[in-house]
Formats: sequence, C-alpha cells, structure tokens
Amino acid sequence: MHKNRVPDWTSGMVFALAVALVAILVACSEEESVVRVDFSKREEVTIPKPREDLTYAYLPQYSPAVSYLRHHRMVEYLAKATGLSIRQVFPSSFEEHMSLFGQGRIDISYTNPFVYIKIADRYGAKAFARIVEPSGNDTFSGQVITRADNTDIETLEDCRGKRWIATDESSAGGYLFPLGLFWDHGIRKADFAEVNFAGGNQERVVYAVYSGEYDIGTIRTGTLDITRNRIPIREIRVVAESPAYPSWAYATRGGMDQRTVEKIRAAMTALASDNPEHRAILAPAGIVRIVPAQDRDFDPVRALMAKISGELEE
Amino acid sequence: MRVGFLSALSFRGKINLGIAAIVVVFGLFTAILVSNLVTGSLLAESKKRGSSMVLNLAGRAEEQLLTRDYLRLKKTVDQYKALGETVEYAFILDKDGLVLAHTFADGFPSGLKKVNTEPDGDAVGILLLDTGRLLVYDFSAGVHIGDNRIGTARIGLSRQEVQRTGRRLFLAIFAITGAGALLSLILGSFFARNVTRRINLLRASAEEIMRGNLDVQVGTARGRNCWEVMNCGLENCPAYGDLRRRCWYMAGTLCPACANTESEDKRESCKSCPVYQQNAGDEIQSLAEAFDVMAATLKDHIGELETARRGLARQEQLLHTVFDVTPDLVSLQDERLVYRLVNKAFRRYFSLSGEEVVGRTDKDIFPSGQGVLSEDENRQILETGMPLSKEIYVQRGENRRWFHVVKVPVYDGEPADSARPPRIIGLLLTARDISVIKRYQEQLIQSQKMEDLGKLAGGVAHEINTPLGIILGYSQILLEDLPKDSREREDVAVIEKQTQVCRKIVADLLGFSRQMESSWAEVDLNESIREVVALVRHIFQQERVFIEMQLDDGVPPIRGDKEKLKQVWLNLLSNAFDAIGADGTMVIRTKLCKHRRRVVVTVADTGKGISQDHMAQIFDPFFTTKPVGAGTGLGLSVSFGIIKDHKGKISAVSPAPVEYLGMGQEDGRPVGPGTVFIIELPLTDEGLPEDECLDI
Repeated sequence: MHKNRVPDWTSGMVFALAVALVAILVACSEEESVVRVDFSKREEVTIPKPREDLTYAYLPQYSPAVSYLRHHRMVEYLAKATGLSIRQVFPSSFEEHMSLFGQGRIDISYTNPFVYIKIADRYGAKAFARIVEPSGNDTFSGQVITRADNTDIETLEDCRGKRWIATDESSAGGYLFPLGLFWDHGIRKADFAEVNFAGGNQERVVYAVYSGEYDIGTIRTGTLDITRNRIPIREIRVVAESPAYPSWAYATRGGMDQRTVEKIRAAMTALASDNPEHRAILAPAGIVRIVPAQDRDFDPVRALMAKISGELEE
Repeated sequence: MRVGFLSALSFRGKINLGIAAIVVVFGLFTAILVSNLVTGSLLAESKKRGSSMVLNLAGRAEEQLLTRDYLRLKKTVDQYKALGETVEYAFILDKDGLVLAHTFADGFPSGLKKVNTEPDGDAVGILLLDTGRLLVYDFSAGVHIGDNRIGTARIGLSRQEVQRTGRRLFLAIFAITGAGALLSLILGSFFARNVTRRINLLRASAEEIMRGNLDVQVGTARGRNCWEVMNCGLENCPAYGDLRRRCWYMAGTLCPACANTESEDKRESCKSCPVYQQNAGDEIQSLAEAFDVMAATLKDHIGELETARRGLARQEQLLHTVFDVTPDLVSLQDERLVYRLVNKAFRRYFSLSGEEVVGRTDKDIFPSGQGVLSEDENRQILETGMPLSKEIYVQRGENRRWFHVVKVPVYDGEPADSARPPRIIGLLLTARDISVIKRYQEQLIQSQKMEDLGKLAGGVAHEINTPLGIILGYSQILLEDLPKDSREREDVAVIEKQTQVCRKIVADLLGFSRQMESSWAEVDLNESIREVVALVRHIFQQERVFIEMQLDDGVPPIRGDKEKLKQVWLNLLSNAFDAIGADGTMVIRTKLCKHRRRVVVTVADTGKGISQDHMAQIFDPFFTTKPVGAGTGLGLSVSFGIIKDHKGKISAVSPAPVEYLGMGQEDGRPVGPGTVFIIELPLTDEGLPEDECLDI
C-alpha cells in the first residue's frame, strides 16, 4: 500500500547539493608552491665602499638614468681600452657637478663649454677633447622654442614680456647661447615676465613649454630629437636658433697624471662611427666623434660670456 | 536524514526549516565561495600590488643606485615598509647581489637574498615564502637602465593578512547569513503562521463539511461588494446581494463587464474589472473563496439531490406498492436473465423471499428441468425480441392453477428511435392467475352443453310421452278388464308399472329441458329443506345414515319454484345416500352471505366421494357411476338446470373439507372422503354477484 511519505529524491537532492558544495570548495582552494626560508638566520649588512677609481661624470642635463644610458658604454669602453678602473658618477645638478669637480670627486668631466669655462676658471680644469655633434659639426647652438599653436610668438621680438624657462643658469645651449641671442636682438633678461630654470634638465624645459606653463623655452640643439619619444615635438615650434659655439668638452683635473689623460684621449679619439662597435658607444651619447681639444678652443664662449656678463649672475 | 521526521513536521515547521536550511546552506555556500573568491582576488590583487610596488621601488631605486645614495635608498625602502602591515620587508640588492638597503630591524635574513633573485627580463618574480612564522609573497624586480640591470628590488607582502581578510569576510558573511536566517525564520514564521492559520481554517472547514455542516465561511469578506463597486443597480443579477460568493464565481451574472463572455474567458476578463482588482486576494484567499463557493454549491446540489432522492424514494415506494399490490406475478430480469425485481405475489406464490430471488437466475431458484426450460425460453425472447403470451396449467401439490403468462423484452430506449437502435436490456414477466376465468369458461361450456342436451332430451321426451300415455292408458284398461290374481293381470301390471317409470323419466327429461311449467313464488329455503329431510330421514336411518341440519334462521325467502328446489334437495340427498350406502352422515347447511345478496346451501356427505376424473362430468346428463338400472344419470343434470333457472350456481368439492362435515367426526362415525355440493342462490333479480362469498 502506498504510504504518504516524502519522496526519496529529497535526500538525493540534499546529497547532490552537498557534493556540489564540496566540489566547489575543493575547486576554490588553490595550492601554491612554497619555498621555505629561515628568517631566524640573520646577518649584518655592510654598505660597500666605492673603490678608488677614476670617476666619469656627465653634466646632468638629463636624468641620471639617461646619463647612464648615454655614457655607461663609453665608461665601460674607456675602462677596457685604458685598463683603468673607471666608474660613472651622477651629480644631481650643474652646480653639484661643478662642486664635485672642485672637490676632486670627478676625474673626467664631460660638460658644456659654459660649465667647462667655469670649472676651468675656478678649479683649473683642462680640456683634452671635444665632440663632434650628430649634426656633423663640432659646434652646437641654442634654440628658442614655443608651442606650435602659439601665434603670439613668431619672432624673437615677440618673446619680450613672455615667461621664459631655461635649462640651467650654467646651461650653454639651454641658456647662455639664447641669452646671447636675445642680447644681440636687444632683449634683456629683465624684458621677460618671468625667467626660471629647469635644473639643467632639457626635457623638463620642453615639457614646460608643451604644457603651456611657460611661453618660451630655451634648449640646446638635438634635444627635440632626444625627447621625441616622450613629448610630441610636432607641437613644439623653434622660434629662433643661436649662433653655433664649440661643442661639449672633456676635461680633467689639472693635477691628473698626463699619461692617464693621454690614454683616455687616445681611447676616445680612437672611436670611429663607421665601426659598429664604436658606433654603439658613440651614438647613445649623442657623439659622432671625439677630437682632441685645448682650452683655447672655447674662447668664443668666453667672448660671449664677457659680452653679456651683465646678464649672468654668479 | 529521516524522511519520516519531515512528514511528521508541521507545515509551518517545514517552511521554517526549509527557509533556514536554504539560507544557511546558501549562506555557507556563499560565504565559502565568496571568501575563497575574495581571498583569491585579494591574493591576485596583492600580487598585482606587490608587483606594482616592487616595480615602483625598482624605478625609484634606479637613480639612487646610480648615484650610490644609500641613505635615500634606505629611506625609500623604509617608506615601502611603512605603507602597511602587509608589507613585511623591502630591500635593494646591487647587481652583484649585495644588500644595499633593507627594512629588517635586527639583521638581514641570510637565506632571503638567495631566493627569487633572477626574474625573467622585466617581469616580476613572485615566490611564496614560508618564514616559519608566516607566509610571505616575495616580489622581485630588476632595477634596469636600458638593458642593463644595475640591481634588484625586493618586497615581501604578508599572505596571512590577505587570508585574515578572507576569514574575516567569511565570518562576516556567515554572521550576516545567520542574521538573515534568523530574520528569515522570524519572517517565515510570521508568513507561515499567516498561511497555516488560513490553511487550518480551510482544514477545519473541510472537517465541518465532512460532518455535514455546509454553512462554512472561510474566505474573509474583503473590500466592497460588486454592486457597490459597479453601482450597477442590477437587482435581478444573481450576484446582487450574495455575500458568500464573489461575482466571478457566480453563474449568470449580469454585470456588463462579464456578460456575453464564455465561462473560460470570464476570469481573464475579470483582470481588467475594478471589482476583481479591488477584491481579489492571494492564492489562499482565492482558494478559500473557491472553497466557500464549493461548499455553497455543494449544499445547493445536496439539497437538490435530497429533493430528488425523496422524489425517487416516493416513486420507488409507489412503484413497489403498485408492484406488490398487483395480484399478477411480475418479475424483471436483466440481459443476463438475472432477477432484478420480483413482486410480492411472485414471492408468495413461489414461497421465496426477495433475497432468494433477486440476483439469481431461473436455474438457481427452480428445479433443474423447469429452470433450464424457462431460461431457454427467456433467452430466445431476448435474442429474437419476440414477446411470448401463453396459458399454462400449473399443479403444485393439490394446488392447481391456470396462468396467463406474458413475457416481453425490455428495451433501453424507444424502439422507434432509428438514430439509436434500442438494445434489449431485460425481460418482463407477468403471470395472471386465470383459474377462475378458466373455471367460468368450463362452466359456460358445460352450461351450453346442458342447454343443448336439454333441448334434445326435451324433444325426444315430448315425442315419447304420447305413445307412453297410450301404452299406459291401454294397460290400465286391460287391468280393469283382467281378473284379479290372474297371470295376465300380473303381466299387464308390470307393463303398467314400467310405463309409469318411463313416464317419470320422460317427465324428468321434460323438466330438464324446461318443458315443465314453473311456479315462481316466495320460497322459504329452510322449510323446503325440512320438508324433504322429513320425507327421507326415516328411510335413511334404516341404513344408519343420519342427516344433520345447520340452517341459518336469518336466511330470507327467495323467489323461486319451491317444488323444483325440493327436487334439487331430494336429488342431492338421494345421491348422498347412494354414496354413503350405510353408516354415514349428511350435513345440510344454509347461510346468508355477509353482503346479503346470496344464500348458500351446502350438502355434504361422508360417502365415497367423487374421483377427480369424474368431477368434470358429474353434471352431464345421463352420466352416472351407479350400476345399470340403479340410476338414470339425470338427477344432477336436472338439479343443475333448476339452479341455473334460479340464476344460481351449483358446484361440488370432493373430498369434502372437514368443516362441512359437521359433528360427524366427534361421534366417531366413519368418515369417507366425502363430497360437498355448494348451491349459491341470489337474493336479487340481478343474479349472483361477481365477488366470491368468503363464508363458503
């Protein structure tokens, strides 16, 4: 006789639900491999002291990383070619670069001619080489840039009364050469609404103009190519370019062993762009070739400095 | 789980248990699943965060590594350590694997810098470390400048914190689930109580209905009545004033919204009706209303059924009464010839009860031969559809009766209905007792025969009477002429005597044929009987035959021929004496029937009686069982004619019932089978009444 009972599927359903629940829970629990590390064993850490190497410093017109990328192959090459122990140091500013050089903590200084003249005058730096720019010239210029869509600024004359950002007070292409250009056009520093400096960083100048923070900016030639990947340079327009001046200089302290200087110069001047290995060293640094130099090669810059000495602040 | 427990649980308990089980199971399921998912997601996020942090640290350490600014490096890793409790450690290795800055307070774990040191390219290496105290995700990213790796950044994030978050989430969800279950139980109990209370009301009403109370009202009155909502004023609408049924349960509602709508579409049309929208409740309310309607409809139907049942009972009683009152034997058999109905006369005749007949066949209730014959006959009627009518003579012991039997097939419809040919569903039998008719019929035949014979005998007697008169005359002349004591005179005397006998015979024949003249006057029957008895009593006593008279003094005189009646009494007494021979008793009784329209005279004897073979012939002329010369066989025939002339009736019963034999039995005198002749004479000119005299 049929009995009035709850059908058997009730218990089956409960069982199926439990199985599903367990299956889901099992599926949800994912085990990872574990590496046992004994944290109870400790050791004291000692900071390694820098070796007594020759130091190679690139005037920080870019960030230390860019400086590294541009010159670490050069440093490695020089060390290898000369047998000297050379390491790159990264001053954080033009002033620090000059200060470190003065303190003897920079043995090989790669600077713009303006800074070179400063450290030569102050600390007896001796130029022993200078570079040939990617343009093929052993000179370079400064550029006045503005936003491409800024119709207020078409000529240098239009820069008068505008806000100006320069690279650094010790920048050659980024300040000194444009300052001379403005001087030659009768525009004085006081004629600008504002003059500010980007701490030596060329990229920062381009970006400040691009962002509209400043009406005009002054950079050295070649900067736009370097910043091409980070800033849309089609938005930047070059208003004017200064006359060309001797390009960057390699200098050493006055007291450095002359044989060491010669080794270094020989290694540097041996670099040739048609050599793929050498080109891999020169190209990142923005150098086509390195040629021997002497202090008098930079006299045009000294002349400029003298001409606008009133505008330069010490 | 025992299902019996569930079956025994109350409906409210089932709902509460079901809700709680569902909430708890799914809450547990959700808590576990969500906490696992969240834990997994948090772990993934933690990995992303760790990867992002270590890449960020590597980026920030880049310049500090280049500039060998280890103080800033230390500050940087400390800043990462300060980002939260989940950050267990952060440190920077140089390209040679030397630790430049770290966040450990009491020395650097020496084993740590050996693991997870070389992630592929720019990718972040992630390794789960077991420090013995906790599990830590170790993230490693190279500090690159260009293609040059100048160091490695490492950050350790506690996995325990993520798992603690997952557990806290699990507990939170489970706590919410518990609260939800509790709330569900409370709300479920509230709603279940609301539902079960109404279901219990339905159950109680169902029990009331089972107890016969159909005046239940389960559905609660809600809202306004339909005639109030519609303001229709249709007082002749069936729904008007009916508080027990919703208009949508009302057949024949006149509401314009419902009129001319098929019943199956009515509920659909209700959905747009304001009455339905205002008053329709939930499913249980609908069920309760339907229940009320069902009860009301049931009550109506039961009332109608009760009325119909009473009518049927009355009809059945009437039918049974008619059926049973009918003196004919009536029976109804079904198509299998099983008795379905028999009337009282049938049962009484066959001495059977209703239970012994109904549900049985002829083979069951009749002797085998008769049962088989009857069933074969009945089956033939069922097969042919031809009715049967016949007269049968039935003898059951001493009971002999004639029946007129009619058997007709019973159809389930009108035979004329050609669309649906009728089917034979039974057999109706009626058997009428025609014994009396038969007897009358035989008596009529007998009467006609007697009349014809009387005419014949009268004619013959008339022709013979004249020559007999001449013979008698000449014989008497010769006797006067012949000398006394002569032989011739004796011979002629014999001729004269025999001629006298012949004249008497002829006189009887003439009397039989009513050739004699009648003398009609007031006749005292008792007196005529006493005169005859006085005449023969002495002669009979010589043979010890005694006559007993039980004469009813209340018998009124009748109009008739006294002499002829005396001849009847004399014939009957003479026949009785001949039947007794010697040593016997005769009883003559007169009686006035109750309705005072007839007189009955009975003449009984204790003689040898009349055989059944002779019974039908005793009134025939010249029929006699006496020896040749002892009787003419005309006595009873003449008596039959005389009684017939008096519009009466004469019959005989043999053996005679003992109540007619008077005191003879007490005297110890021998009692034969005996015979009783019963003479009925009318007191009115109309003759004998049709009804029987029950006093005979």
